[in-house]
Amino acid sequence: MSALGGAAAGGEGINPTASVIGIVILLVALGITFFIASTGGAVALIGIILGGALIGFGVHFVPVGGAPAAMGQAPGIATGVAMLAAGAGLAGLFGGAWAAELGFAVALGAGAVGGGLMMAITCMMVNVIYVFGMGIPSASGKVDKDPITGDTFPEYKSQGTEGHGLPFISYVGGVIGGTLGGLGGTLIYLELLAVYEAALPVIYNAPLEEILPVAVSLAGIFAVGMFLVNAVLTAYNITGTIEGPHDPKFKRFPRAIIAAAVASSVCGMLAIMVVAL
Amino acid sequence: MVENLVLGIGVTALAGALATVAGAAEDTESDIGSQGDPNSQVQLAPQMGYIHRIYNKAISGEPPAYGLWCALGAGIAWAFMAINLNAILALIVGAAVAVFVQGVYATTAYLGRTASLAKFEQPVYIDILKSVTTVTMAHAFVAIFTTISMCYLMVAALGHPFPLPLLGLVWGIALGAAGSATGNPFYGKERQYQEQKFGAGVPISASGNIVRYAEAGERSSLDNGWFTSKLGGPASGLCFGLIVFFELWRTVLFEPFAGGWGAVIAGVVVILIFMVIDRFVETWARTTFGPYTEVAAAEPEEAAS
Repeated sequence: MSALGGAAAGGEGINPTASVIGIVILLVALGITFFIASTGGAVALIGIILGGALIGFGVHFVPVGGAPAAMGQAPGIATGVAMLAAGAGLAGLFGGAWAAELGFAVALGAGAVGGGLMMAITCMMVNVIYVFGMGIPSASGKVDKDPITGDTFPEYKSQGTEGHGLPFISYVGGVIGGTLGGLGGTLIYLELLAVYEAALPVIYNAPLEEILPVAVSLAGIFAVGMFLVNAVLTAYNITGTIEGPHDPKFKRFPRAIIAAAVASSVCGMLAIMVVAL
Repeated sequence: MVENLVLGIGVTALAGALATVAGAAEDTESDIGSQGDPNSQVQLAPQMGYIHRIYNKAISGEPPAYGLWCALGAGIAWAFMAINLNAILALIVGAAVAVFVQGVYATTAYLGRTASLAKFEQPVYIDILKSVTTVTMAHAFVAIFTTISMCYLMVAALGHPFPLPLLGLVWGIALGAAGSATGNPFYGKERQYQEQKFGAGVPISASGNIVRYAEAGERSSLDNGWFTSKLGGPASGLCFGLIVFFELWRTVLFEPFAGGWGAVIAGVVVILIFMVIDRFVETWARTTFGPYTEVAAAEPEEAAS
């Protein structure tokens, strides 16, 4: 935990060997899916990989302060990275799944806005608690000036802390993170739903209307599971806390995108093979 | 059409109200049981030589814990409804069974976590186990029952495609995320570090020095629930209630417009409104409180020493 003076764990750069191995795994998963579930399955898997990468990228925007934030020792939201991102992304998935019958683009839009809305309300309530419940103004510990509003922070930082509250840049980061999470989660759900809607009526030899609840449930639970996989994986990349897009840790995102894409390819392959084998 | 709309708005309002109660109960439960991030200090205190009588069950974060309990409650309710049990009764039975799992979780978490502090001479208090566990269970019942009832309304009245157990998982995780995000700072800074100066963060040098004594005798976790239910709990309730209400409201009211894009546009407008409110709160704090002066900034450090 950086607030307690420990050094940030984890390197900053991309490990070329690990990345090449990861990309090989991704291509193998794509190849197996193409071999088993033909072009439709492979295209769906590409959508799932894209959704996973969006989640991995989006989690980096979410300002999470963990335990130090709960004592006003560090800026951000006082909870865990993966869990907050999951809360927002799944709220988005709820909206996206609801709008699925209105078309692909509308569902994606509904999912993105659902995640963004959850974060917009949560971030606002965090600032309300800090300001009206604890009398503490927002101050970043990573930058002296808010890149959006130009507010200066050093004089608003209480002594012995790394900053506190949610500066506006962190708020905007939270909304962007929730939006990307909701978008990625919904994309995974829609791709899986299309695969299951095509395959399940053939397997059970029943009309689509009867099979639809099973398809929705399967796609939903796999989407939730893959969301958690990508969010937790990204949390390892962040190592503890992050303030948002202005935090130096944000620059680590390419590594998380590669990892999320690889993890999503393997998880997606298994989810497609449930009906393709 | 109009009747459907009116029903939809009514259900939206009811779901929002249920979510508000759920958020308040969730945060109070987690503060009494000390499950959120501030529990790091409860765990740290004995290691710094501060023996206490605070409950300690943060074996996982609030979002996955509530995801489990709400999915469990919703799943059991769904199974009972499948055999034609009355929906309200099924929801009550589902929540009750989930609460027993929560009780087992709380008991083993308290015993395990506290026993791990034995080398720092932190005792396991059986009277705390008896008195606090049941109170957290009661609050958890309220939180789980209201959440799965809200999920049932989404399925039965609003026609959401997800099955009830999956909605329980999704909204349980969102409930834990909203409750821990909003309520944790109030419990962590304002209650556990009540001796520190108001209006400033806890200096890192004071970590572990939590308040351990009450007006009479040692502080109990029940006192923490009494304190946080004044602001942290209701604020968490408001947060989760607003999330659920606006998520449903924008869909129910605006989805028929522009082929579904109406709901998306309404959501963007609501996000922008909350962004403006947040910016107002931020600037209000800066202008009203002003910057920390040298003297004021030195005081928390003195209090810690």
